[in-house]
Amino acid sequence: MKSEVILKQPEVSHKVLRVSPELPSKLIELGATKFYRCFNCGNCTAICPLTEGKVSYPRKLIRYSLLGLEDRILSSAEPWLCYYCGECSDYCPRDAEPGSFMMALRRYLTTKYDWTGLSRLLYFSKKVEVIAIMILAAIVGLLIYFLHGPIVLDRVELETFAPIHIVDTAGLAVFFILATLLITNIYRMYRYVMRDDQGRRIKIPLKFLITDFIKTVPLHFFTQMKFRLCKVWNWINHLIIVYGYAAAFILFVPLLRFTQTNEPFLLVNPLSILGILSTIALIYGASVAIHGRVKKSQPMWRYSHSTDWMFILLLLVTVVTGILVGIFRLIGLPLATYITYSIHLMIVAPFLILEVPFAKWSHLAYRPFAIYFAGLKERFLASRGVMYV
Amino acid sequence: MSKPVLVIGGGIAGIQAALDLADQGIQVYLVEKSPSIGGRMAQLDKTFPTLDCASCILTPKMVSVARHNNIKLLTYSEVIEVSGRAGDFNVKILKKPRYVEEENCIGCGECVAKCPSRVPDEFNLKMSNRKAIYFPFPQAVPLKATIDKEHCLFFTKGVCRVCERFCPTKAINFEQQPKTIELNVAAIIIATGYDLIDPSLAPLYGYGKYQNVYTSLEFERLVSSTGPTNGEIIRRSDGKHPKSIAFIQCVCSRDVKINPNCSAFCCMASVKEAILAKEHLGDVDCTIFYMDLRAFGKGYQEFYKRAMEEFNIKFIKAKPAKIEEKPETKNLLITYEEQVTGVKRVLEVDMVVLAVGVKPVYPEAISLEKNEDGWVKLRNPYLDPVSTSIEGVYIIGVAAGAKDIPDSVTQAGAAAVKASILAWGGG
Repeated sequence: MKSEVILKQPEVSHKVLRVSPELPSKLIELGATKFYRCFNCGNCTAICPLTEGKVSYPRKLIRYSLLGLEDRILSSAEPWLCYYCGECSDYCPRDAEPGSFMMALRRYLTTKYDWTGLSRLLYFSKKVEVIAIMILAAIVGLLIYFLHGPIVLDRVELETFAPIHIVDTAGLAVFFILATLLITNIYRMYRYVMRDDQGRRIKIPLKFLITDFIKTVPLHFFTQMKFRLCKVWNWINHLIIVYGYAAAFILFVPLLRFTQTNEPFLLVNPLSILGILSTIALIYGASVAIHGRVKKSQPMWRYSHSTDWMFILLLLVTVVTGILVGIFRLIGLPLATYITYSIHLMIVAPFLILEVPFAKWSHLAYRPFAIYFAGLKERFLASRGVMYV
Repeated sequence: MSKPVLVIGGGIAGIQAALDLADQGIQVYLVEKSPSIGGRMAQLDKTFPTLDCASCILTPKMVSVARHNNIKLLTYSEVIEVSGRAGDFNVKILKKPRYVEEENCIGCGECVAKCPSRVPDEFNLKMSNRKAIYFPFPQAVPLKATIDKEHCLFFTKGVCRVCERFCPTKAINFEQQPKTIELNVAAIIIATGYDLIDPSLAPLYGYGKYQNVYTSLEFERLVSSTGPTNGEIIRRSDGKHPKSIAFIQCVCSRDVKINPNCSAFCCMASVKEAILAKEHLGDVDCTIFYMDLRAFGKGYQEFYKRAMEEFNIKFIKAKPAKIEEKPETKNLLITYEEQVTGVKRVLEVDMVVLAVGVKPVYPEAISLEKNEDGWVKLRNPYLDPVSTSIEGVYIIGVAAGAKDIPDSVTQAGAAAVKASILAWGGG
């Protein structure tokens, strides 16, 4: 049986495999602190609730990484198919933490998909991360300082202080820049992933690209349904957080003209209720994450990279300043409202600008696209006859 | 004139050490806690790599021990106290009552046949029953009956005494008391062997939950002609011959969360068991799941090759993650990732044998220095691998570290020489 399998493997290519000896140490830096302990038993792959047949991880990816086969890692969509239930880490006989290895791979791939190089700097240097946040906050602060409208002090006039056309324009500009960055990153991801084991490019006909996109990306973007197979409660928590963000995004980007007004903030108003719900969802999400990461109550929280804490911190400050703006508007404290709102914007801007295209938040795109790319690739390889028996 | 030596544990290592000392004219006390010597090897069917019958090579040695003028065999006894120093140890031994006078018992088995009380048989790992008065196994040495006080109707309910009535030599003595024996010895050799690690520590393999999952030792008894099925390999669930058997290596071994060590002999033991299954059943698929197949001894690699080529046993390099049972057939589904291809698969088999790792057993009366993993600390693992950190106390066999029979016997000889130096007043 074994010998047959070997014979039916793809023909040996003459392409020289590029080896990156520094790959393992990079992954260690990104949180795969114990993966070198692996002795290749495959227990992790076998226990994973999401792997099946040829789509097998983490063991294979650990092997590639230990050998420094960077091209194989780059052409793998698998890291994004893992939702970190942690079964692999719990049952690893070497305590090599395959789960945290997969997380480190996602961080690594995020730095590789990004063409600006900023992602790499953010992930490999806490200093750069902090400085980048400070610079962006300062830019936003200066913009507010120079562009803010009249400061009305006898009542709260938020729209007068932060004229909607300026905030809206800035918001849209940021949105389009981020979207462009993210889309180019996704394109790079596509280029990396669509290669076979020998490094040969896989060309997918446009028809399949379109039909598969329609079938997979929106579905997985909105439901993250694969997560369900991993750990149901983590999936539900994640959905709560996602929809908390989505509601906040809708309220404060497309609907900004209705939410940032001179009118007093009313509690009983559909938009306010949605805002309160999204705030509750985000506070809930942040507290689950903080509690989990402090207690290390699940494998997925056992190792926290500095960027994970930064993400939570930025989220918390965003939410807290957001709540304060609401409260100050409600009780009618003009100056406090304007100052808090300025701080809020100074935090929201770096939060979005750094996290969406360059860091943790980019998974919102990479995960659904990975499912889409992996499906295309598997079908293509199967049609070309590269199949293991 | 030499001083005596104490050997604790009557398995193959203890037996060999006792014989090697006694043959030099040294008085040996061989203490065994169970009613018979023989140890784990007595439970095995065949040995690797030659497929010799284990009993056939062990039993003559057991008999030699019993007959040797220089060996005083103390079965059903435990060392309870040790003091003193190398060359001059004072040892207290508790001889538990068999409730059978050893001098009178002729091993006819009349009592066993008449005893009405059935007890799970430890020798067959509780896969069959014995009586409350029993011989642990047919080749037991000494072949003296023992009453299991916990299960004897007379001791538990105050009735019966059937054995006493039928014993032709009036050997039964319900009044027998524990005896303490005091000895002075020059050296002590510990050969107390091992227990299997509790396989429920690897819960995903379902041992104890699924009927057709066995430990390797259970399988040894199953293939053995003195075993619970007289050597017929049948499933616990339905008594049918399995058409496929999977052997899983490194269960509770080489796992940092359970036991980080390699248990050394399981690879070859499983290869042997797979061959035995083929020999017994003919029409059976045997698959061995292994992480690294450790065929380190003389003739072992050839044995492994023979298993593949001559017996057509399949070897899959993988550590299965879990076993599930099909409720209707009680067949077992093994999930694993085949390393050669990186493909995740499920194999359905009729029977699973877990090669469960070992943990050492040590006498409580001697406080041995241990390593972090719970195994004894050897004085020098390279150059003095049979010495403990206590001068004059030697350790051999699996108690000193997981190993197979040839290595245990080799260590026995080594420790015998070390002990004899002290016995003759040297050292």
